[in-house]
Amino acid sequence: MRKLIFIFSAFLIFGTASAQTKKGDLLIKNATVITVTDGILEDTDILVENGLIRRIGKGLSGGNGTTIDAKGKYVMPGIIDAHSHIALDVVNEATSPITSEVWMGDVIDPYDIGIYRALAGGTTISHAMHGSANAIGGQNVTLKHRYGTRNPEDLIMKEAPRTIKFALGENPTRVHGRNNNIQPRTRMGVEAVIRNGFSEAQQYKRRWSEYDQAQKQRNSTAVPPKYDARLQTLVDILDGKVIIHCHSYRADEIYMLINVCKDFDIKNIVFSHVNEGFKVAPELAEYTMGASVFADWWAYKFEVYYSTAFNAAILNRNGVVTSINSDSGELIRHLYHEAAKTQRYGGLTDQEALELITINPAKQLGIADKVGSIEVGKQADLVIFDSHPLSVYAIPQMTFVDGVKYFDINEDNHDQRIRVSATEMVEPIYLKEHEHKCMHNVDFLFSNFGRNLFDHNH
Amino acid sequence: MRKFNLILFACTFTLLPLWATAQIDGEVVKPRSGTFLLRNATVVTVNKGILSNTSVLISEGNITAIGENISSTDAEIIDCSGKYIYPGMFDGGTKLGMVEINSVAETNDNAELGNVTPNMQALTTINPNAVAIPVTRVSGVTTTLAVPSGGLFPGTAALINLNGYTPDQMYAGFKGVVMNFPSSARRSTRDRRSDDDIKKDAETAMKNINELWQRATMFQSFREAEAELDYYPEMEHLSKAVSGELPLLIEVNAAKDITNTLEWLADKPNVRAILTGVAEGWRVADKIAAAGIPVITGPMLSIPTRESDRYDAAYTNPGKLLAAGVKVGLRTNDTENVRNLPFNAGFAAAYGMGKDEALKAVTLVPAEIFGVADRLGSIEQGKSATLFVSDGDPFETKTQILHVFIDGYKIPMTNRHIQLYQEFLERDPGLVK
Amino acid sequence: MSIIYKKAYWWTFAVFIGFIITDVAKAQSDNTGERRVTGTYIITNANVAYPSGKIQSNTSILVKNGMITAVGKNIASPSNAHHIKGDSLFIYPGFIDGGSTAGVTKPKDPERPSNFNSASPPDDIAGITPYRNALDYFDLGNAQVSEWRKAGFTMAQILPEGGMLPGQTALVIFGDKTSTNIYSENTALYATFNASRGMYPGTLLGVMAKFRSLYRNAELSSQHSALFASNQGINRPERDKVLEAFYPTLDKSLPILFAVEDDLTVRRALGLQRELGFRMILSGASNVEEIIPILKDSQTAVFLSLKLPEDKISKIKEDEESDFERKERIDRIKSSYTKALEEAGKFEKAGIAFGFSSQGIKSADLMKNIRLMIANGLSEEAALAALTLNPARILGIDRYTGTVEQGKLANLVITTDSLFKEDSQVKYVFADGYLFEYDTKAKKTRSETTDEVDLAGTWTYVARSPQGDSQGQMVIARESNVYTGEITLDNPAGSGQITTAMNNIEYNNNRLRFEFSIDLGGNYLTFSVSGDIDGDEFDGDLSVTDLGSFPFKATKQPGA
Repeated sequence: MRKLIFIFSAFLIFGTASAQTKKGDLLIKNATVITVTDGILEDTDILVENGLIRRIGKGLSGGNGTTIDAKGKYVMPGIIDAHSHIALDVVNEATSPITSEVWMGDVIDPYDIGIYRALAGGTTISHAMHGSANAIGGQNVTLKHRYGTRNPEDLIMKEAPRTIKFALGENPTRVHGRNNNIQPRTRMGVEAVIRNGFSEAQQYKRRWSEYDQAQKQRNSTAVPPKYDARLQTLVDILDGKVIIHCHSYRADEIYMLINVCKDFDIKNIVFSHVNEGFKVAPELAEYTMGASVFADWWAYKFEVYYSTAFNAAILNRNGVVTSINSDSGELIRHLYHEAAKTQRYGGLTDQEALELITINPAKQLGIADKVGSIEVGKQADLVIFDSHPLSVYAIPQMTFVDGVKYFDINEDNHDQRIRVSATEMVEPIYLKEHEHKCMHNVDFLFSNFGRNLFDHNH
Repeated sequence: MRKFNLILFACTFTLLPLWATAQIDGEVVKPRSGTFLLRNATVVTVNKGILSNTSVLISEGNITAIGENISSTDAEIIDCSGKYIYPGMFDGGTKLGMVEINSVAETNDNAELGNVTPNMQALTTINPNAVAIPVTRVSGVTTTLAVPSGGLFPGTAALINLNGYTPDQMYAGFKGVVMNFPSSARRSTRDRRSDDDIKKDAETAMKNINELWQRATMFQSFREAEAELDYYPEMEHLSKAVSGELPLLIEVNAAKDITNTLEWLADKPNVRAILTGVAEGWRVADKIAAAGIPVITGPMLSIPTRESDRYDAAYTNPGKLLAAGVKVGLRTNDTENVRNLPFNAGFAAAYGMGKDEALKAVTLVPAEIFGVADRLGSIEQGKSATLFVSDGDPFETKTQILHVFIDGYKIPMTNRHIQLYQEFLERDPGLVK
Repeated sequence: MSIIYKKAYWWTFAVFIGFIITDVAKAQSDNTGERRVTGTYIITNANVAYPSGKIQSNTSILVKNGMITAVGKNIASPSNAHHIKGDSLFIYPGFIDGGSTAGVTKPKDPERPSNFNSASPPDDIAGITPYRNALDYFDLGNAQVSEWRKAGFTMAQILPEGGMLPGQTALVIFGDKTSTNIYSENTALYATFNASRGMYPGTLLGVMAKFRSLYRNAELSSQHSALFASNQGINRPERDKVLEAFYPTLDKSLPILFAVEDDLTVRRALGLQRELGFRMILSGASNVEEIIPILKDSQTAVFLSLKLPEDKISKIKEDEESDFERKERIDRIKSSYTKALEEAGKFEKAGIAFGFSSQGIKSADLMKNIRLMIANGLSEEAALAALTLNPARILGIDRYTGTVEQGKLANLVITTDSLFKEDSQVKYVFADGYLFEYDTKAKKTRSETTDEVDLAGTWTYVARSPQGDSQGQMVIARESNVYTGEITLDNPAGSGQITTAMNNIEYNNNRLRFEFSIDLGGNYLTFSVSGDIDGDEFDGDLSVTDLGSFPFKATKQPGA
């Protein structure tokens, strides 16, 4: 196995070889602090040193950084989006029903203005995901919105565990079955493709461990098996090293994958979108790491016709770890508002609603020990709002990542592009939000003019 | 994991009085008319201030009385103490009722073939039983403009109220010919036309429009002269926009295109123009104000049109237009999520428009723009009883809408979303049978 | 330079000399009368650029059988020397192109097998052909070679055309057509980030993963081969020419030449290199100013792109500046433009000995762009070095070329004035000891005046969409000055092809525009195509309302 470990550690070294990212010092005074994990603290200070929250209390002083008087303002943890496609050059490697070997970290676009716009809406972490074209898509990357850097590696949250995209239902069956004439064409096929993948991965693992055993013999002449990153990633899922985030809508397909995971003893799985999750809420609560949902999206395609905006409330009340995600360069700018919709549709409390965009997505991404709440020792990803963040009138004022200020409503320039084309005299005007969507890069020009591909493609 | 907080659950229960309206197994709750007395509310009239401890009497479809001490012997009394009454909200541009499921082409009836089809009637294709209609109206959005899309003149939009069994029962008294003004903008980074080509394409499109308009003008002059004309429904319809018989709803968004539109309109005094979209209106707000043309803009919850724009450009657009003196109504431009209109208005309010003006922009102002302010848009005696009762500011996300009336009909506060909630909140059997 | 490299060069050098000898031996007669009378030249009394960068006047150069045999003040002229008076002329080393596609044609796409599966296509169809050799697709007689030679290039590392791994590069001399002109084969394994359209790897995501996978499997496969070679009882290794092509990169004896565009692609290439450990050269870099320190620290050899952005700023008319925020926007575009011009100068300041690659530019733009770089901070010495000595060093051939010195290859550029002066023109080029002479009187002005091409005929086109190429034909007819036509395309609603009319055909100043519409299950969708005609080639874009636009290229079929 040593060879294999070498191969994969090399894969990870890519992430760690870079220079240190910026860490800030900061003292926020007199704020209403929404800790998420420890209630609301009135008139409270937060001391940040070297990017971490050092102290929370009254009358704090010291520190090397700037002091911000936040009297009358609200401070909450940086918002975390468990399903996003911003800051990516490519979203879908839609050419094969399984593409577990590809990694979104390879295609990060640090120049995407969407990162700044997300910061301006208080979102400090996004889960940059592969698209939903394949039953088993690519490996995702968790990003911290350190906008301004030109180095993609600076955006990667290196502490975050590996995650991978799965997708069920209409998208993989359309892309592969109906457009390319290969399995899966049905939800049955999706199950088969996933089961085949895991079974092959088990064989692959066996081949390598046999080889590694043989290598231990003196003067071994064992021949190494072929290396297959696709299967190796599936092995890592089986070994519990990778969290599945599965694009899904219908209850039957969610239930199917829960069963597959049971059979392969996979515990690390989060269902995403999961519009009909409310129908299998008890199962989601028992067997998964939770559900990451839209606040109110429905009816843009058939598999979301029987949805309800009360989904998050039902899931939450049934004990499912629930988050609200964006899957959109637009929604990511006001996830605080999306979370508030669970108060209209199902009457969640402020506490419950705020958990949906902070500690809960952090749990689903495996980073809840580092971010997602305002606690001593956690990373200082913070947002200051002028009023309660669940109010429709709330306006984010400043956003910090690792104690470094990346958005300030009063100081930032209007034009926040990092890079400007030398020849683009006529600037494009976007009247619809075309980018940052699940089915991005799958819009065929001649082979499939999916009428639906340019509106809601999630 | 099944221990959810009972107190919270109870709260939810009271916040959703739909369960209190005695829904019985198997019974369908229908909209019903009658005499209703909404007692002791805070009435947000929109045009005549806020009246506290005031009651509103609804009878035969209309608001028949507003005052502190109204009594009625035959009225069904609805206690509104601590509650608020608002006029029903208008969405100035939607596909609601025309499109059921966006990705299923067979359910999309909003875009007909052809470039010049002003004779296509949005009202014809409204499905009174669209699942999204009850989903929308329980939010207090009672009135929407159904807008056809497609070519240059895609059809005639119609204003509808979200209750009725036939399109005519839903029709709310306004129609307008829709025009998609040709864009001179680069459409996205994937639009790789050269600067010259973009310019040329726009010129060609303008030439095309002017030729069409000339034909319609000729048709109109013949019509006025009562000359004998060959059947030509497209021109017949377009000529109504030429004469001002029907307003012209001009969809235009890029700044340059807006000024082009204003120039194009300058020598057409008969045209009753309404600009729609107007995403970059803030760039040329003074010009729009000077031309005195009303605007329906939105959604606010959208990304800025240009990468170089400030992040909140779409949020602040209505406020900036208003400040320049433009008459501004709002829209979602949505289909199934028209219920987000109040939230769009809330963002507009927060980002410069102010709450009062944002409220007008979804009630009285669109009623005026669409010429139906004699019936809709404010709480006034004699107007249509199209209104809703809420437990607070309807733009605030957590506010609950408690009752909705459309033309005096009490709307059942249910829909598929709510029914699914009722069925699945506590599934039985749960995890095990 | 590694030992293997040295060997390779000595070998090719020997072959090279051998060619000259056999050439002389068998060339008894030439009934075309084209053969030169002598291979010996003397250029007298010229200004010669020395390796130090100094220009030495009154200097003569003797060229004999492809070599510079003497450089100095008092050189005796052999009786059989072709005498060129160098008075007022300037002599520079022949330029070396770090990455060129001049004269290289794209191999034909192989037939798709009947059981083609887009998820696992055969390597050659998916653009994975690292075993190919650029030389097999190179034609010295191609007009592009003559053009680049005329611009001063005498050697180039030629790049094979293709997908993510098109093949191996080769070093060629732009010499006489009677010679093979091969300097060395397999100088690098050429890698790009080009995805295969409509099959795996279909995007950059797949390309990155596929590259890792191939490299790792090449390591395993070479282990297997080594075991097999030295042990009994080992199963036979499966021959895989793709993996075998990687073998020499594993021990760094062969570098990987990565085609890059901007900082992000450079970072991706550097990432792969760090992770897998191969030796790397970058070709075609631009917009990389911000990562100069990283390139310097990693000692990565770089061929910068000779491409510069089009100057659109100076073309703005005053009246267009009315937009209140336009000035701010234009200022940012201006600074991006200036930054692009300054980039080469910044590399020089950082002490990086970069070369250039010509891929993607026209030879006519070469000097224009270099002068712009010089006007924006690049020194003339560094510009010359980037065209000559630096690429020679990067390619490991500086012992043989890159300077005007005795014992080096007779690759020279001779200009009418100091090289980078506005009016300076190339008068002679020596490549491989052969003399090429150019007319320097009239400066040719481009376009505008060129005669328009007749469009009538049959054209084949390729439209590239994110998900695949679409190919078809356009048949264009002409009646007096009005063009009509039909276009055939893949039926979007099903299989087969459909034909539809080309509408609104406009053609002037070599710019063609037309539209066509197709019926998509009841919706008519209009496409517009526009672009430039250059001879029998059309290069443009196809755009669709709301869907963006896509490259569209067409070629006129001969005789049709």
